[in-house]
Amino acid sequence: MPESPPSTESLILLLTRHQEALFRYIFSLVPVEADARDILQETSVALFRKFDQYDTTRPFLPWAYRFAYLQVQKHREKSARSPLLFSEDVIDLIAHERTHIEPQLDERLRLLDGCLAKLTPKDKELVTSRYALRQNAEEMMQRFDMSRRTLFRNLEMLRQRLHECVTRQLQTEGLA
Amino acid sequence: MNLETLIHTQLDGEITPEQHAQLENRLREDWQARRLYLELADQHARLLQQPQIATGRLPGQASGIQASRRWQRLIVPLAAAAIVVAAFISWPRETAVVEATSNGVAILSQTLDAEFANKTHRSGETLAPGTLKLAKGLAQIEFFSGATALIEGAAELEVISAWEARCIRGRVRVHVPPAAKGFLMHAPGMKLEDLGTEFALNVKDGASAVHVFEGEVIAHTDKPPASLRQGMTLGSTQTDFLPAGELQSLVKQRSAQRFDDWQKWSLETRKDPRLIAYYTFKHWPDDRWDRLVNNFTEPRRPNRAGGAVGARWTQGRWPEKEALEFKRPGDRVRLSLDGSYTALTLACWVKVDSVDKKYNSLLLTDGYDNGEPHWQIYEDGSLMFSIMYRPADASKGAKHNQMYFSKPVFTADSLGRWHHLAVTYHNQSGRVIQYFDGSEVSREISMLHQAGRPITFGPCEIGNWGLPTEGHQFPIRNLNGAIDEFAIYSAALDAEDVKALFEAGKVE
Repeated sequence: MPESPPSTESLILLLTRHQEALFRYIFSLVPVEADARDILQETSVALFRKFDQYDTTRPFLPWAYRFAYLQVQKHREKSARSPLLFSEDVIDLIAHERTHIEPQLDERLRLLDGCLAKLTPKDKELVTSRYALRQNAEEMMQRFDMSRRTLFRNLEMLRQRLHECVTRQLQTEGLA
Repeated sequence: MNLETLIHTQLDGEITPEQHAQLENRLREDWQARRLYLELADQHARLLQQPQIATGRLPGQASGIQASRRWQRLIVPLAAAAIVVAAFISWPRETAVVEATSNGVAILSQTLDAEFANKTHRSGETLAPGTLKLAKGLAQIEFFSGATALIEGAAELEVISAWEARCIRGRVRVHVPPAAKGFLMHAPGMKLEDLGTEFALNVKDGASAVHVFEGEVIAHTDKPPASLRQGMTLGSTQTDFLPAGELQSLVKQRSAQRFDDWQKWSLETRKDPRLIAYYTFKHWPDDRWDRLVNNFTEPRRPNRAGGAVGARWTQGRWPEKEALEFKRPGDRVRLSLDGSYTALTLACWVKVDSVDKKYNSLLLTDGYDNGEPHWQIYEDGSLMFSIMYRPADASKGAKHNQMYFSKPVFTADSLGRWHHLAVTYHNQSGRVIQYFDGSEVSREISMLHQAGRPITFGPCEIGNWGLPTEGHQFPIRNLNGAIDEFAIYSAALDAEDVKALFEAGKVE
């Protein structure tokens, strides 16, 4: 049976299913949320324009990553003077490393949910405030009555604990 | 600053250009640093995307406002075509709509007098892997691979996958079309690999016998694999194998019998003096306009005949029975029912293909004036009956229709099958009782009920709502399905009567 040409509808389905993975990929190369979202947006548009070239028998994400990578480059060129962007060679190194360890990263995320559930109520409140309510530093400093320094120190420790919890779980499962 | 802190400072957007240069150097030089960075960045990105995990649903107003602002900023410069895509990247992410899944591997396509030992099964049901214990009767199973198995009770068949089954005991006949070549049938002492064929298997007292009617089967036993071709038998030759086509002809006979029984009953029931109108959706081939939906009440009342609009003739509950199919937004049957009543019963046989609109019409009067009933299926699959009484001094916006909902009755399981629906209402008691397949599914009296207000129909329609007035949009409420019998009574039938309507007309 001949393959029917991929439709807008199937792109939407693919994007809906994979947008989180795509965002994670972009964020690893440009670890600034607003920039990563802009790039995700531009990547989606690029995918939309070139979707007729997509071979539906191949996996979607590797194909989409190529577009994301190009958009990251474009973004770098646009804001080349920003000192807070990774250089091209570092971006390449990270992108390369990431394709190697992507299965492990996915595995880690699977375990992350369990680790989040084990957080103390106080840590949960911190996660809620930072990630769900998306409060900025000033709001959080007020809410938790903390100095800026303590706040970011606490956030760092919280994420480190989550990271260690996941690593421990992986070791228990013999997957590390 | 150590590497961890550098990474977290980056993630929190607190990093200085000097620290950033430091981080970059570490990442450039050390693959382990890159790994740690990737793990932490990935974790952070996940939290940004799915903060609700483990923290429960949160009051996210703050994020909502931010989000819509961001969304606008993003969307404005985009070409119109991209909007489609953009809508899916908006933040916060909507709870993903989970696609319905099924672990089915086969369909129980037909049964005849079938009784199952372990649980009840209905024909048309999807079968998940498991063992089917047929105590008596015949059952046909269509595997998703394309293979078909006919089994005769008493028999036990384990459905393993779309490509594999095991006959534990009993008589089975298997047909494997080319597309399902390779279908495996296990039996005590043998494994049969099908190469596109028809064969029968008989398992009795732990011994198997197989006979090939057509094509080729590879039999794996404790001996080297043997090819069995047309006419060959392995195992006891004294066995009688299940003949083909038996089920089809028996099912056909049975349905013809059911249709005859229903027709006899229908000829009697149409004399019921409580009937206002009775439509059996009989197609008149000699009706030149092909649109007549005759009213069969006796004595005859041709002024209450209906006229089909759009709806097309299709098969009803049995091959011999006709029905009207409602699919398109304009499809309907127009009626005009004179008179004023103190009670009513609406009853119909309907096959709903999908509940895809907010309101899905069964019978509605044009407009919505005092004393007029509306009978619909609500979007959640529940039955919804309502009747309008607006006090003379009422403001226009206020709601005065008395509404009654059943529990949801149309679910994935009941769609695409014929069901009997009924509702009864009496204007003294105000009680509304709704029935699904002869069983009560709701009973209620509205807070707004006042005794003695008359019920009227006037111009109304089956399967849709209302004549659009000039220049106005009309809500789309057409039924997606078929109706093959509709009865309207001027009395509230009791539970036994409704049960009898169901019993007289049920499919099997």
